[in-house]
Amino acid sequence: MTGRGEVTTGPLAVGQFVSMIKRTLVQEPLFQRQTIKGEVSQWKQYPSGHTYFTLRDHDGQISAVIWKGRCTIHPTIKEGSVVVVTATLDLYVKRGNIQLNVERIEPANTLGAMEEARRQLVERLRHEGELDRPRKRPPFAPKHILIITGAGSAALADMHRLIENRWPGLRRTVIEVLVQGERATEEIVRGLALSRRLATPECAAQRGEPPVDLVIVGRGGGAPEDLWAFNLEPVVRAILASPIPVVSAVGHESDLLVSDLVADVRASTPSNAIERCVPVKAELEQWQDELNERLNHAMIRTFGDARRRLVNLHARLKVAPLAGINAGKRSMLTLRSNLDRAVEATFARERTRIAGLEAALESIHPQRVLERGYAMTQTEQGDVVTNVNMLEVGQHYSLHFVDGTAQTTVTEIHTNEE
Amino acid sequence: MSEKEPTYNEAAQRLETIVAALERGGMGLDETLKLYEEGAALLKICQRELMSAEGRLNELRLEDLEHELQAQDAQASD
Repeated sequence: MTGRGEVTTGPLAVGQFVSMIKRTLVQEPLFQRQTIKGEVSQWKQYPSGHTYFTLRDHDGQISAVIWKGRCTIHPTIKEGSVVVVTATLDLYVKRGNIQLNVERIEPANTLGAMEEARRQLVERLRHEGELDRPRKRPPFAPKHILIITGAGSAALADMHRLIENRWPGLRRTVIEVLVQGERATEEIVRGLALSRRLATPECAAQRGEPPVDLVIVGRGGGAPEDLWAFNLEPVVRAILASPIPVVSAVGHESDLLVSDLVADVRASTPSNAIERCVPVKAELEQWQDELNERLNHAMIRTFGDARRRLVNLHARLKVAPLAGINAGKRSMLTLRSNLDRAVEATFARERTRIAGLEAALESIHPQRVLERGYAMTQTEQGDVVTNVNMLEVGQHYSLHFVDGTAQTTVTEIHTNEE
Repeated sequence: MSEKEPTYNEAAQRLETIVAALERGGMGLDETLKLYEEGAALLKICQRELMSAEGRLNELRLEDLEHELQAQDAQASD
């Protein structure tokens, strides 16, 4: 393309110029797969299978073409119909004509009516409290998943692949139904009815399998009308009637269907349904191994502690009597020496007292008195004279000295009072 | 716990609690042994649950499954 700053040497060939316009137009994202509403005029279906028409309203118009087999054309569409098209802008260089390549065309009134019915259904469900009902929790590890979806669809292949990655060999049953077109609603409802049967223990036992414990109903992405079955009341009611958790897994992330509003789990895509409902088996196994190890470890530790305590107690028990005797011995010895010391002290005290007494006794012995120059007087009868009143004049008395005796006669008596 | 076999999640949660309690320790030997036995039984349940989730992959057409179940019903009513 010739840039703005490039110097051109001459006039552009018109074909070249128109091609430049085309390149610019087809690069503009706004002109790709745009949804446009307008009235059909000059509707012409050619024997070649292509259909040409003009899409117009009061303010503008543009040529449009539906290439043969490109999309289904609703039989009610005719001259004057108001339609909604999904189309990409194109420029036919040879003629310099801008036109819409139509990829989808729907009567606007049909889509409008569908939208209105959907809105009313949601309103009704809200009024009935179904939108806020408590959801059933999907099993942590499902044993039997039931998938209701299109046969051989890319969505089903994706789900199988993801399941095998996460939980190889996980038990699952697929019920193949039509997920778009006129019969889709009926088939999805019948599929959900079967899921209720397969969830009963009796039916499961007869088929030799655990009961279905999780239902995934869905399909891959598509145009709004292709997903529409999931906006219809029969499908919604069948989901609500399910005794086991139902995952709604329809379309792409941005699609919000009424089935999403009432399901127990809303998955943004079929793959997302698997990611949310199928745990990674290897992780669970690892978790179990860890718990097993922790359990055994805790057990061994507890009993190890108990055993050590026991061994310790046993050792202490063995030495305990000896320790007792030794302690007894020690205290006896102490007592003994204490006693000895007490006895000793008592004897010493007594000895001192006796010595004192001896000395006292010694000092009052009569002999000692006589030694100091005193004499003792005795009557002839041998009584010791202790006062003058015992004496009589003319009587004989013996005088005892320290070294001998003398006889005497009393000639005069004087008392101290005289 | 009820007589009914616990689900995987119930078993797993109880098992976590038991292991945590055993790891905290401080229980009598009797109690420890009892908890250990319960834990070991729960672990077996978990392992069995993992095994039991594996099985056939059935891809059935809607009509075929309907016919199969109708045949079952007919048999049952005989």
